[in-house]
Amino acid sequence: MSSDSLTLDAVEEGKVARVLGYEGRGGWVYRMYQMGLVPGSIIEVLVNNWKGPVIVRVMGVEVAVGRGLARRIRVQVLGEGAGWR
Amino acid sequence: MEVRVALIGQPNVGKSSLFKALTGGDVRIANWPGTSVERVEGVVEYKGRRIRLVDLPGIYGFSATTLEERLSRDYILSGEPHVVVVLVDATLPERTLYLAVEALELTGNVIIAFTKTDLAHSHGVHINYELIQNKLKAPVVATSIVDDRGLNALLDKVLETASKPSGKPLLNLDYGELEPFVESVQRIILEHRVLANYPSRWLAVRLLEGDAELEERLLREAGEEVLNKVRAVRSEAQRIVGRDLAALTASKRFQFILEVLGSGIVKKKVAGGGFKYRFFYNPVLGPLASILFITLMFLAVFTINTGFPLNTLLSALGQEELAVAVENYSVSGLMEEYLGAVQEWVGGVVGNPVAASLIAEGVVGGVGTVLTFIPLILVVSLILAALEDSGLLPRMAIGAHYLTSKMGLSGAAIFPLTLSLGCNVPAILATRASISLRERLRLAITLPFIPCQARLIVLLALSTALSTFSSSLLVIAGYLSAFLAFITVNYALYRLQDKPRGRNPELLLEVPPVHRPVPRVLWWMVWSDLKHFVKRAGLVILSASVAAWLLTHVSTSLQLTLDPSDSVAAAVSRVLTPVLEPLGISGPGAWMVVFALITGFFAKELFISSLLVVSGSPTVRQAASLLGLGDAELIPLAVFMVLYVPCLATLSAIYSETRSARHVALTVALMMAIAYAGSLLTRLLITMG
Repeated sequence: MSSDSLTLDAVEEGKVARVLGYEGRGGWVYRMYQMGLVPGSIIEVLVNNWKGPVIVRVMGVEVAVGRGLARRIRVQVLGEGAGWR
Repeated sequence: MEVRVALIGQPNVGKSSLFKALTGGDVRIANWPGTSVERVEGVVEYKGRRIRLVDLPGIYGFSATTLEERLSRDYILSGEPHVVVVLVDATLPERTLYLAVEALELTGNVIIAFTKTDLAHSHGVHINYELIQNKLKAPVVATSIVDDRGLNALLDKVLETASKPSGKPLLNLDYGELEPFVESVQRIILEHRVLANYPSRWLAVRLLEGDAELEERLLREAGEEVLNKVRAVRSEAQRIVGRDLAALTASKRFQFILEVLGSGIVKKKVAGGGFKYRFFYNPVLGPLASILFITLMFLAVFTINTGFPLNTLLSALGQEELAVAVENYSVSGLMEEYLGAVQEWVGGVVGNPVAASLIAEGVVGGVGTVLTFIPLILVVSLILAALEDSGLLPRMAIGAHYLTSKMGLSGAAIFPLTLSLGCNVPAILATRASISLRERLRLAITLPFIPCQARLIVLLALSTALSTFSSSLLVIAGYLSAFLAFITVNYALYRLQDKPRGRNPELLLEVPPVHRPVPRVLWWMVWSDLKHFVKRAGLVILSASVAAWLLTHVSTSLQLTLDPSDSVAAAVSRVLTPVLEPLGISGPGAWMVVFALITGFFAKELFISSLLVVSGSPTVRQAASLLGLGDAELIPLAVFMVLYVPCLATLSAIYSETRSARHVALTVALMMAIAYAGSLLTRLLITMG
């Protein structure tokens, strides 16, 4: 695992990140893929409060990811995003 | 011959709207065989041809993780539809083309229709549809329901595609390093000539992705040996590729989409605009805003339906006349007035008193109940449709998630929860939105605790018989005890069954942009809800009403009788009266209360009318004094009435959703136990104080 990989719940608001992979399996992983959250895809973290779902933008769509699921998504932070517009 | 078209698309692409724009809202709703998933069909007459459109449920792909996905791919492969129309959101082409790519891999006769093309411009998206058509080698049409653009072009393409002989080549994506493995699985399938109704390459890719349903079919048709061969190839592939194969194939599909769109699309800026509604995501403001919205919405619904709580508020302010007017002109007030008149009229016209009673009470009463519910469903579904179409509902779900997750429910549970306050039946159908099966079962069992409008009506009627206790407090207490029961049972089931196994409520929800609701779309949604209700619940309520009449008008010696106290139901009630003794309800008239509770099982609002009929009293107040029911008896009775066994229609909905008689029995047992315990506790509190 590369040293700069962390889980989605730990990414600050406004950052852009690349999805590296998922921990665990199940129907939700397929749903993530279908929603465009495939390994390698670029996402922007729009909202990440200290609790509650993380809101990301992927391919122009806002998706709410529950915190428990966010903990199982490994990502790599790339930089600042465009933010709300 | 008619042309059959399957309409598919991802959630929020505007599928239902396009379907209704094409069919003009003339639809037929049935269920997919063996399921309670709706099958919506409509017919268009176009250029002298009949085109039958089948609106499939919204799905993200064909991976068979949900019943809807499985059902859709089975339908497409059944050979029934001549053409498959895949809808793609022009404002979000990258994401929504995914389903189109999967469809092109599955079947040949695909048409791709872009929706919301009127909006694409303002989102800064400019699409060259022709270029995309050439790259996908499938017809592409740009549509919009705002100005009906492209609808005729789409129908033209449908006729054109249907007239061509099938057997158009499928889309063969290059899966790169996975290719040799796709080929070997394909060879195994072809060698053993199994699952021949699936395209072999598609099947091979799916099996490599680990499709559990197809594995099961392979096992059934070809046996363990073949399945093990396929599995061996898969583990080899996994070892060589070194990552999840489903992730690889999904990435390849998205890569292909980017290539297709690459030159065919110009984007000026990122689509956004959700900024104003960010507060829903705030851990403090979000839950507050969600609760505020739901409360306001139901105060409005309650007032329109029963006058409560606006009438109480007005009379508290000294505006007695206005309060009475609000109540009289509420839906239940108007219905009561006109229904009474019709029943009297029937009694006058039909000579035979038994027949008159059957028609007036059984049939007119039943039809009346259905009619009473119509404005109610109309109001509830209009408000819900507006929330849904505007994109506010998913935001409310996220806001509510902070609260609902504490009792083991995902925020998405607020859809069925709010519906439940109107009627439990559609609420139980709406539990499908849950991503967890466990959560869905828990919801289906516990939702009936939430008082529906019928129970509100009974609660209001009981409150008129109170002597010293405040009637609005009784209504509030009824709702509080119901919510308390719902939360406690959910929390208990979650802590006992799911939390120890690490099954926590999860949320994975697309949040569409907020926009002003389109009146035409709202009307379609409301209309389809109404039709659905009349067809599904209407028949149940009507037959229950007639059945209730029979039970109350047939004596134990199987003779027709006009005196309800001779009836079968009365005889049963008399046996059961000791049950109500601890609640303080005893004496010669106690059976009437039991009797009313039994009829309440058919439809909750029958509780009041049967109490009045058997006691021969014109008002609940008089019935109560006749039976010797004071505040100390009425309040526990109200609590019992709110919580006890749901109505027949709700139980049948639970059965059709869970397909399990055990769950239905569990619901009944649970509710009876809690209703009894709750009312005993109430009685205890009252007699102590």
